[in-house]
Amino acid sequence: MSEAKKIVLAEDNSTLSLLLKFRLEKEGYNLLIAADGKQAIELIEEQDPELILTDIMMPFISGLEVISHVRNKLNKQTPIIVFSAAGQEEMVLKAFNLGANDFMGKPFSPNELVIRVKRLLR
Amino acid sequence: MESYQYLIEYFENSPPIIQVVWVMSCFFIIIIVILIIYFKYLRGHLRKNEKIITKHQKEYESYLISFLYAGNEEEEISKDQQTIIDKLKSCAVDEFKRRIIVSTLLRLRNEISGEMAEAIQKLYFQSGLISYALSRLKSKKWYVVAKGIRELTQFHVKEVHDEIVILVNHPKKEIRKEVQLYLVTLFHFDGLKFLDVLQTQLSEWDQIQLLEVLQHFEDQELPNINSWLKSTNDSVVAFALKLAKIYNQFEVKDVIMELLAHHQKTIRVDAINVLSYLQVVEAKDILKNNFDKISQEEQIEFFKLLENLCESSDEPFLLAHVTHENFEIKLSALKILKKLNIEKFKSLEELSPEPEYNRIFKFLAYNQL
Repeated sequence: MSEAKKIVLAEDNSTLSLLLKFRLEKEGYNLLIAADGKQAIELIEEQDPELILTDIMMPFISGLEVISHVRNKLNKQTPIIVFSAAGQEEMVLKAFNLGANDFMGKPFSPNELVIRVKRLLR
Repeated sequence: MESYQYLIEYFENSPPIIQVVWVMSCFFIIIIVILIIYFKYLRGHLRKNEKIITKHQKEYESYLISFLYAGNEEEEISKDQQTIIDKLKSCAVDEFKRRIIVSTLLRLRNEISGEMAEAIQKLYFQSGLISYALSRLKSKKWYVVAKGIRELTQFHVKEVHDEIVILVNHPKKEIRKEVQLYLVTLFHFDGLKFLDVLQTQLSEWDQIQLLEVLQHFEDQELPNINSWLKSTNDSVVAFALKLAKIYNQFEVKDVIMELLAHHQKTIRVDAINVLSYLQVVEAKDILKNNFDKISQEEQIEFFKLLENLCESSDEPFLLAHVTHENFEIKLSALKILKKLNIEKFKSLEELSPEPEYNRIFKFLAYNQL
């Protein structure tokens, strides 16, 4: 049996993190949760995940800095999905310029997220 | 004992000013010590509270997630879901716990959409949390009522429309603001019907908040705003003018033109601004004919309209105002003339010896506008 694909989720809303953990683990993924950007970078360096899900606004280190770290410092091409709230359109553009692969505007449907995750990990 | 004696003697033999300084110093030292003890206690209390909140939050988070995944297609509410509802019901009796439950539900409700968002809504109803929010509407304390309305807005509870709409003219502006946001957030443009009955002033901040909410809806079709433009409440008229501009309501141009004779100067100025934006050429002649009767603010706004809608037939009018005493009118008249007829504009260089006129002329002559 192949090992479950690892996904790092950087999200400061613990309730949402828990919901996505249940949902994605049900689909057979191994979800690693980081409550802020700093923890996310540590997890990414330690675990080398197959996919990264990150919110843009987070304490200590923002989602944009996480993307920049992965693309420019670690030189990894790990797919990244960005979560953004309404009114953060400029941030989303910056995220794409830094190398994000996809984005989802909040509020989003967890089912739609699963479809996008599957598409990127195909 | 001797040292105490020495200190007392020293104090008694000191000059009065030194005695006062000593007394003040002792007083402040006592105050500082009391404050340090109090803040230490407060910090401990807050940290303890924070720990309790985190503990309860984790507990309710897991209840909520279990509830969301415990459903099945056969039953509307499964047995597991009913167990969670019962647990939350008993916790919600305590106001402190209820606040944590509501904030936990909202934290997730604001981040997700689709079936799960609907399931959270269902949980809010089934766990009886809605009845607590409704009971808040009957409170005598205004902030409790305002918080209750806000909670109902956040949970999209449309069913209490009639109970909330009666508060539209409440004496407390905070409650009125929450009522307006409830109506517009949940009923979109239909919610604006409260403007028909609003007797109090709609502040500039209230108007900005309403417009901010309205711009997020997919359906951007505005209802007829004629009655709001004719309202006896001036703030409603000002808001309707903003709506006319933002939603390009050219069809109400006749009613807006009537506002050129409104008793409030700010409304008249706003009306000229909107007519200019909507490019209503008919307004030009009306304003031109009444130019000397209108206020200076309206005259300035009219020149802004002319910048937008000028024609060569306006030349004589502009020439009559290039030496107007007001800087903005003078600048505007010369600017439009330059746009309409550059030769005529050049011939005006020596028209006035006034330094301000010459500075404006040179600025316009050497700059591309």
